[in-house]
Amino acid sequence: MSRTSGLLAAAGIDKRFGANSVLRNVSLSLAPGEVHTLMGENGAGKSTLFRILAGIHQPDAGQISLDGAALDLRNPSAAYGHGIYLVPQEPALLKELSVAENMFLGMLPTRGRFPSRIDWKTIRGQAQDALSALGLDVDVRDDAKHLSIAQQQLVECAKALLRGCRIILFDEPTSPLTGREVGILFAIMRRLRGQGCTLGFISHRMEEVSEISDRVSVLRDGAVTDEVGRDGFDRARLVRAMVGREVIFDRRRVRREAQGEPVLSVRGLAHAPVFSGVDFDVRPGEILGFSGLIGSGRTEIAEAVCGLRAKSGGSVMLAGRDISTSSIGDIIEAGLVYVPEDRARHGVILPMSIRDNATAGQIGRLQRKSGILNRGREIAIANDTMHRYQVRARGIDQPAGQLSGGNQQKIVFGKWMSTNPKVAILDEPTRGVDVGAKDEIYRLIEELSAQGMAIVVISSELEELIVLCDRVIAIYGGKIAAELKGADVTAARVGAAFLGAEAH
Amino acid sequence: MKYLFPRQPWDRALVAILVALFSGFCIFTPGFYDGFHGTLAITEEFLPFGFVALGLSVVILTGGIDLSVGSISGLAAVIMAILIKSYGLNTWLAVLLAIGAGGGLGWLNGQIITRLRVEPLIATLSTNFIYSSIAIALAGASPPYGFGPAFGELGTGALAGWVPVQLVIFIVLAIGFSGLITRTGYGRRLVMIGYNRDAAHYAGVSVASVERRAYCISGIMAAFAGIVLASYYDAVRADMGDILLLTSITMVVLGGISIFGGEGGILGVTLAVMILGVLRQGMLIAGFSDMVTTMLIGAILLSSIAIKNLFSSRGFDLGSIIRRLSSLRPPERMAPRS
Repeated sequence: MSRTSGLLAAAGIDKRFGANSVLRNVSLSLAPGEVHTLMGENGAGKSTLFRILAGIHQPDAGQISLDGAALDLRNPSAAYGHGIYLVPQEPALLKELSVAENMFLGMLPTRGRFPSRIDWKTIRGQAQDALSALGLDVDVRDDAKHLSIAQQQLVECAKALLRGCRIILFDEPTSPLTGREVGILFAIMRRLRGQGCTLGFISHRMEEVSEISDRVSVLRDGAVTDEVGRDGFDRARLVRAMVGREVIFDRRRVRREAQGEPVLSVRGLAHAPVFSGVDFDVRPGEILGFSGLIGSGRTEIAEAVCGLRAKSGGSVMLAGRDISTSSIGDIIEAGLVYVPEDRARHGVILPMSIRDNATAGQIGRLQRKSGILNRGREIAIANDTMHRYQVRARGIDQPAGQLSGGNQQKIVFGKWMSTNPKVAILDEPTRGVDVGAKDEIYRLIEELSAQGMAIVVISSELEELIVLCDRVIAIYGGKIAAELKGADVTAARVGAAFLGAEAH
Repeated sequence: MKYLFPRQPWDRALVAILVALFSGFCIFTPGFYDGFHGTLAITEEFLPFGFVALGLSVVILTGGIDLSVGSISGLAAVIMAILIKSYGLNTWLAVLLAIGAGGGLGWLNGQIITRLRVEPLIATLSTNFIYSSIAIALAGASPPYGFGPAFGELGTGALAGWVPVQLVIFIVLAIGFSGLITRTGYGRRLVMIGYNRDAAHYAGVSVASVERRAYCISGIMAAFAGIVLASYYDAVRADMGDILLLTSITMVVLGGISIFGGEGGILGVTLAVMILGVLRQGMLIAGFSDMVTTMLIGAILLSSIAIKNLFSSRGFDLGSIIRRLSSLRPPERMAPRS
């Protein structure tokens, strides 16, 4: 266990998925005995880079080398062969198999010639030894489904060691872990580092990054924007490198303190253990930001407010009316809409036409007494959506699935906005759309707010919150951790709140 | 004419198949072509399948399935017969009550599927056995027969002496169902659910209520088919509907309605009703046994699903790719456990 791994280097990596350029000329080197952290916003390309190093994706250009020798990582087992193992974001253990079986998956040792039998004794012994070496106390005969996420990650780690891998990449391992579990993981990472392993790490959380990393590389929009060693850590510098384009922060100099009665008022909203004690108000013409990491409970809170998800307690008042127990259809009718984050699953119906999609939120209103749809109004709404949001399409009868992501998002937007809501909750409104479309969506949100609509923007992109919001609420661990308004809505403050640093 | 001719490639293929099949039987099967009126009269033999297929289309559009249509037909017909024979009810009132009973049985399917969250396949397979057992128990050893000539008109009558009553009803219903699916709010919701249940839910559609109504419609149509059969034979049997299921599902699927829901229309189903009807009758006249026909229909069901699947993987390029990608994306994590 004492031989050191070599220097793993990626040079000039390009990667495109369809029309989407994910990595552009990225170079990175991971040195033995170091924890090298990748930081960056969601969608910056961190996971993709790790997946390329682990042979899951193939780069479109560029080279990967180990100690100067070029590697051909055409699949994950080629990467294993060179000692590279990726612990995925979601541990990929087979839930119904035992821990030992999972660890030896694809390399079960056998005994005897024919018929050869699986050598359970060896498997159990070696598996147990590998886990004990990591200080993990679980019975290897137990089914993997009984393990916590943290334990599953450690099993993945042990799997890497069993395969003789000395370069272990952790893709955002800490986001589902509790503080104590993070401590255990870090202790193991330190031990592996001490043994000369090369460790890659992805995290959003500033404290963790400064605690464990020897070197940090920052990715933004598929390119490395900064790389600093242990002594060069500076929170502000890293945030700047992550977010970039500081000019855009100036776009909205005036943050309005919205006046008037709240149009949406949430009190004591709870659904243990996901979120609890959530109180907030939104006023007409206000843009409220919901910041928080994925898994903080922000989407769950929004869905509970909009009647899409069960809640165990709390009240939701919309324009003075209690809608806590109303059906989704009634809530939309009353003027509260939720524009979902996952466009393809919840937002747009890909095989249906633009017309059908644009009117999908108000079928009830388009129905005559006979139940027959008013085709003229449907066409008018669809044309209006196309025109107002500048959707690039052949016509309203084109299937939505043939449009680009940005144009689909505009249709989804139009579908909800054409119901004339009083309050709109937008969950990651610019996820997966290109920079140009992003700007258009920001413009639309500001326009709607100027017309008096109350808007809640859920986002994990710092920049988005700073650019758009009058007020920002940070969600951390299912609770409101901080509220920032006026001059406090700055990159530094929101960034800190976002990572839970302002939680009290 | 521009609007009458089908625009979808699938529907056009069905027209071609229908023409080829019909001409084939006319040429090669002596006794199949019996003049224009005779050809129309053939439809009486198979339109009950078509009635079931119309109702089933609605269910399959939501992405569900109703395997209980056969037993609902039998049970509804038995109920009607008992109401007439044992309780002396007016025939047409009994017919209405039996159709209502079919709706009730379908509604029960819907309740089981939406409230107890049982897979439609399992739910309707189970109720199929339950309903058919009830029908057998109610019918007894010697099921009633002889409901009078007026009732017989439904299954065997002809307007102006040559247009079968069944055909008139089928055409009216097919136009009605087509309108229901393409023109009404209910139809739009139905298709949305079939394509993307979650997106329909997020758009405020009450998915469960739409589904319950779909199973109710399927039950009503199955009951109606049972009553038409009773009229045609002037007798009922508890197991009368058993032959309906395979052929009607095949009609729906061959008609181009995707078994995954959402896609397809009534025009295709109508064409498929004619194709399979002509096939059944043609095979019978050509002297093949029912077993051969059933085997053939099973093969048609299988191949139409297979062809549809192969087509759709090429057809909606972008759509299927995005859907596949989206289903691979890991779900949002819950808040950290404390």
